[in-house]
Amino acid sequence: MSILEVSHIEKHFGATQVLTDISFSLEKGQALSIIGSSGSGKTTLLRCLNFLETPDRGTISVNGTPIFDAADSTTKSEAEIRQKRLHFGLVFQNFNLFPQYTALQNVTLARELLSKEQGGGETKAEIETAGRELLAQMGLADRADHYPHQLSGGQQQRVAIARALALQPDILCFDEPTSALDPELTGEVLKVIRSLAEKKTTMIIVTHEMAFARDVADQVIFMDGGVIVEQGDPHQVIDHPREERTKQFLSRYAEN
Amino acid sequence: MFWTVTLSLLKGLGAATQLFFLTLLFALPLGLVIAFGSMNKWQPFRFLLYGQEHPGSVTSWLAGWRPISWITNVVVWIIRGTPLMLQLIIIFYGPGLWFDNNIWAFSSGRMFACTLAFVINYACYFSVIYRGGIEGVPVGQREAGEVLGMTRRQIFFKITLLQMVKRVVPPMSNEIITLVKDTSLARIIAITELIKAGEAFMKSDGITWPLFYTAVYYLLFVGILTILFNRLERKLSYFR
Ligand SMILES: Nc1ncnc2c1ncn2[C@@H]1O[C@H](COP(=O)(O)OP(=O)(O)OP(=O)(O)O)[C@@H](O)[C@H]1O
Ligand SMILES: [Mg+2]
Repeated sequence: MSILEVSHIEKHFGATQVLTDISFSLEKGQALSIIGSSGSGKTTLLRCLNFLETPDRGTISVNGTPIFDAADSTTKSEAEIRQKRLHFGLVFQNFNLFPQYTALQNVTLARELLSKEQGGGETKAEIETAGRELLAQMGLADRADHYPHQLSGGQQQRVAIARALALQPDILCFDEPTSALDPELTGEVLKVIRSLAEKKTTMIIVTHEMAFARDVADQVIFMDGGVIVEQGDPHQVIDHPREERTKQFLSRYAEN
Repeated sequence: MFWTVTLSLLKGLGAATQLFFLTLLFALPLGLVIAFGSMNKWQPFRFLLYGQEHPGSVTSWLAGWRPISWITNVVVWIIRGTPLMLQLIIIFYGPGLWFDNNIWAFSSGRMFACTLAFVINYACYFSVIYRGGIEGVPVGQREAGEVLGMTRRQIFFKITLLQMVKRVVPPMSNEIITLVKDTSLARIIAITELIKAGEAFMKSDGITWPLFYTAVYYLLFVGILTILFNRLERKLSYFR
């Protein structure tokens, strides 16, 4: 059974249709890359999965359980959503770290609040140890007590990845995790994501790094104008695209 | 002579200080209410939009109209666009002149009227500062909290509040220092604040130094505030 099943998602803002009939599924432990030109709806799709936007139509199921159904308003109540969104983690393009907290506090804050709410299953010390461990995995063991403004962009993004991992989401989403970074800093972030893929973390990665998508992903989706134009094996989609629009998009990439 | 003057000026300082703290006491919370009013998104005519959309038409303008925000912004614009001195005169003399009913005739009526004018005026200035602070926190901060499963309350108290405070403190300190000097406007309705107390000696004894002596009090007052605000800003400077 697929860990994630997305079917017939539609979304519009006012009169503009941004997503049309988006359906795909993802297996546990696999990485899915989404590519596509600017404005094709990639961010909106990730935001729908993370309940930052409400789709107008369609359903989302995790582990076979429907967690969102546009036709069923009970799946849209705030308390419900708060529980269900924890299936997903999201790493933003511009990090969005909390500036008043250290790297470690950024990682532990949500888990501490959650554990307090659920009657304190974990102690603060346990959560902190787990947080330090995550930061060490990101290669940031010595940066745990730095504030975001004391870190480089690449370091900030790695803290943001650790922060998302701290809640142990079923599916971790990345929205262009390296596009806000200087070219020499993208490598360190991509390396971390690659290591997560090796550990069989289920991921959806929106990216403009074609070579990276091809190497890391088990599946690639090419989006254009709010629809999925082509999806399949990364080597097939990126090296031997079938659709005309995919070819055009990739050739524009090859030029730059 | 020096002690007579000092004693008299201290009384003036008392009135100025009273006005200062009363204004802060009421204008700080009222400003927050006005800020929320000016950001209110209520659109009572939204229903006009269903079924048809004609950009530029009167209906589409009315559908997008946010009356609470609109009215609040007009009031703030009028208060910030006219001198506090004029507002003070209207509030104190207006009822007597236009309604034949001097509601400020009781013993501390002048101070009441003056405080009211100051509170309204400063609440409007504060509201703009609050609004800037609230809107200045990037939406990404809230969204990052949401994605981590935090409640609205947790997001406000654990994430956005401190960032707002940090943004609000510097412009707020400017405004509050201006308030110290604005208390001198109270003399317009015959409240003996510092300047009026100092000037009195010019008329009675023909000496001018008491007037300049008032400056010492203002400088001390402002100096203490500056130190306090600098300390606060430094406390908040550990993050950006
Ligand atoms: N809140 C919104 N209100 C109105 N339109 C929006 C909103 N968010 C996105 N859009 C529109 O939806 C379309 C898709 O946007 P989206 O951000 O999902 O694209 P994208 O594929 O992520 O692009 P990019 O590669 O530039 O990040 C765009 O045309 C955008 O203008
Ligand atoms: Mg995007």
